[in-house]
Amino acid sequence: MNRAFRIILTIIIILLALWLCIRVDNGGGKYILNTSCLKPNPNAVDIDLNYPVPQNVTINGIDFLQSQLPLGKFGGEFVTSTIGEGPKTFNPFVSTDATSSAMADVMYDGLFTSNPMTGEVIPKLAKSLKIHGNRYIITLRKGVTWSDGKPITADDVMFTWKDIIFAGLGNTSTRDAMLIDGELPTIKKINDYTVEFAIKRQFAPFLRMLSAPIAPKHYFTKDKKWKENFDRFLATNTDPKTIVSSGAYRLKEYVPAQRVVFVKNPKYYMINKNNERLPYISKLVYLIVGDINNQILKFEAKELDEISLKGGDVARYKAKENKSDYVIYNLGADNGTMFIAINLNNRKNKDSGKYFVSPVKQRWFQDVNFRKAIDYAIDRKSMVQNIANGMATPLYTAESPNGIFFNEKIKGHNRDLNKAFSLLKQSGFVYKSGKLYDKSGNRVEIDLSTNAGNTEREALGVMIKQDLADIGIQVNFKPVEFNSLVNKITNSFDWDMIILGLTGSPLEPHNGKNVWNSKGPLHLFNQRTQFDIKNNNIYPYSWESKIDEIFDKASLSIDFKARKKYYDEYQQIIYNQAPIVYLYSPIRIYAIRCKIKNIYPSTLSGLTYNIEELYIDGGKE
Amino acid sequence: MKLGKFILKRILQTIPLLVIVSIISFFIIRLSPVDPLAELRLNPSISQETLAKEKARLGLDKPIIVQYGLWAKSFVKGDLGITSNGEKVSVKLIERIPNTLILTLIVIFMTWSVGVPLGILGAIYNKTKLDRILTILSSVGMAIPSFFFAILLLIFAVKTGWFPVGGLTSYDFNDMNFLGKFFDIAHHLVLPVTVLFTLSLAGLQRQMRANMLDVLDSDYIKFARAKGLSENKIIFKHALRNAINPMITLLGFEFAGLLSGAALTEYVFQYPGLGRLILEAVMKSDINLVMASLMIGSIMLVLGNLLADILLLITDPRVRG
Repeated sequence: MNRAFRIILTIIIILLALWLCIRVDNGGGKYILNTSCLKPNPNAVDIDLNYPVPQNVTINGIDFLQSQLPLGKFGGEFVTSTIGEGPKTFNPFVSTDATSSAMADVMYDGLFTSNPMTGEVIPKLAKSLKIHGNRYIITLRKGVTWSDGKPITADDVMFTWKDIIFAGLGNTSTRDAMLIDGELPTIKKINDYTVEFAIKRQFAPFLRMLSAPIAPKHYFTKDKKWKENFDRFLATNTDPKTIVSSGAYRLKEYVPAQRVVFVKNPKYYMINKNNERLPYISKLVYLIVGDINNQILKFEAKELDEISLKGGDVARYKAKENKSDYVIYNLGADNGTMFIAINLNNRKNKDSGKYFVSPVKQRWFQDVNFRKAIDYAIDRKSMVQNIANGMATPLYTAESPNGIFFNEKIKGHNRDLNKAFSLLKQSGFVYKSGKLYDKSGNRVEIDLSTNAGNTEREALGVMIKQDLADIGIQVNFKPVEFNSLVNKITNSFDWDMIILGLTGSPLEPHNGKNVWNSKGPLHLFNQRTQFDIKNNNIYPYSWESKIDEIFDKASLSIDFKARKKYYDEYQQIIYNQAPIVYLYSPIRIYAIRCKIKNIYPSTLSGLTYNIEELYIDGGKE
Repeated sequence: MKLGKFILKRILQTIPLLVIVSIISFFIIRLSPVDPLAELRLNPSISQETLAKEKARLGLDKPIIVQYGLWAKSFVKGDLGITSNGEKVSVKLIERIPNTLILTLIVIFMTWSVGVPLGILGAIYNKTKLDRILTILSSVGMAIPSFFFAILLLIFAVKTGWFPVGGLTSYDFNDMNFLGKFFDIAHHLVLPVTVLFTLSLAGLQRQMRANMLDVLDSDYIKFARAKGLSENKIIFKHALRNAINPMITLLGFEFAGLLSGAALTEYVFQYPGLGRLILEAVMKSDINLVMASLMIGSIMLVLGNLLADILLLITDPRVRG
């Protein structure tokens, strides 16, 4: 009897504790409704296109950049985070990873930047630009200085372009992209505040590439052997006090695996409408977190001011938004594209003498009707719903929907099995009792691969397998380790279909040249070996040559409308030929504390691109 | 003299062991299909030239045996090489070692100063209520998986706001005075220490209790009791001395775990220690960093055992014989 009583008592205590936990978890109605957080239209895409671009103003001989946004309060700190190991270097010319580049961007400004709404090239460190044919004359700001007080002059620009970028120091991507018919642009100093770039012929991506950061010559060349030590210069263990930079913030400290702290650069050249020097926020903190879960915990514990939300978290945050101190912004589709690539390779391995893709499969994959049938059999809508939790938008073209060159005329299509069957029939495929056979009676069976461990792509693989089973195609889905997958794509070419994702550039389709040019090193669907490229054994399909031609022509023109026409055409060709079947683009959703003001969300640049102009309402003075 | 010879012998025995460990680890890491450049290869904006440059810098263009030879040569000279980011491995390790040491030393100190007395209590009051309660508590401690417990505590920290969510210092750490810094670190350490403490306390308490029970059951303790010695004298002078010997061996192992024992907890709490550094290094096959940490692990283990043996030589006359 006594024992039974004790057991019941214990159970009651446990239940009581559980009930309390749940009650606390639901907030217990304790939150105060924060009216400053209420938004008029919670479901619309929160893009406000009316961001007033900063303007040039000259005061006492100093060429400032003046913010056109409402005046804010000075002080306070903004805490955000970066996932992974943190920066690997602070040298903007060496970094190859996103985190290091983001940190370098905070510290070093480029000559130009992009208008966050239209993507237009607008001046930043440069005051103005004049284009005379193939000559680009850039005027710098007078009276603007580095964080150590030394003036920023044409010598710094010359040094950056001639001695670092064109000389091939560090990460050579910018230099390689600037090669026009194998030649680099020339650069000439006209006077202390004017430089001139000259290019051989019109090259559209050129202007945007001038956004590369500018390095302080006197600081970079302090060491006599600076060229030899360039890759190690500005390594993460550099003493922050000695660093000379130009950005709105300068480095205060870097604590490995914990945080990077930036403080306001008091010599920054941007001012507000009261002519006070920006930025408003005095401290910018990046916490280095190991994974998404930890990031979410830190946001909920109010240690972070901003977070990018994924999948299921969005609904949970949205439900709590009205009772919380944050606002959720939907920035629309991002630069990422998820797709299936089909291997159109029709060449032999020169060592073994065998085809990379078996001749039977080659006949299927090189048949446009077969590829289009796959395109029609795939159910993008349910992929978006079930795999991306609705946080994505179906994709039918090679450019992501936020890009300025996105072809809006390609409306895409729903899943259409009848259309798929009629396409297959045209090419002589036969559908018998749930199985598809080709003209010669071979059962259609395809290997599909992706990188193991990526749960999103693995789930996609399973759905694609089911979708294609409906038109009788047997798909063997085998995720492999990421490195083996890369080896398959870049070296051994022994694959049928692969699910992959790449990040494009919303402003410059020409950056996708490595993928689309038939000689490109990432020409996934019909990759040539280095040997073939050297010996010019290209033999492109007619539409492949057409795309090569379009990319060349589009890069020659600097008129936006003319270029748009070219890139529209290339997207149409990819859509018609379907060597790569696009699935979806993820949508970016951010939550940010509403105490942070002057936010003008942009689908191209995100939320905090105008960090100089953001201020904190109620922040410490 | 005898002791010196013993130590020398043991150190000499260590050398072939370290060579074998290094060969096995090096080849396993290099033969695993992890390609440190895979990310770069799939980045559309990275050119072939940059890739080739990276490959040469990391020494990936040479055969594995040559790579091992180069590594071994510089290791013997005391140079641990550079990480794949181009930083010195020794600098990276020195950055992290103090953080891990703070955590593990506090945990070891606490578990030993609490676990050993509790074990003794459990043995003395064997089969009483006190012993049962201690047994239940240690069972619970042993049963909770450390990462799960860590996550529960993190959620606790988020919900209550009483503790920071992971990390070691707040972002305004450098602006604090000495006392502020001390309390800031202590505040951050509470949760990870709790996890590790609960976990190792349970094992230690049980071990000590079992040792003590064995000894209390032996003939010489019965004899001592029969002789009419006071209970205090029996326990602290006779029983404890004999029961503590197996614990010294255990202490040797604890020494080995000083730098690597807390990796899982470190990861969950985003603690900037050695464990997290090494885990990240393994994931991207940062060979010099992984090798350095593996060698440190092996050396610590050998040293820990040596230390335990020396302590045993001092405390236990039977071993000396």
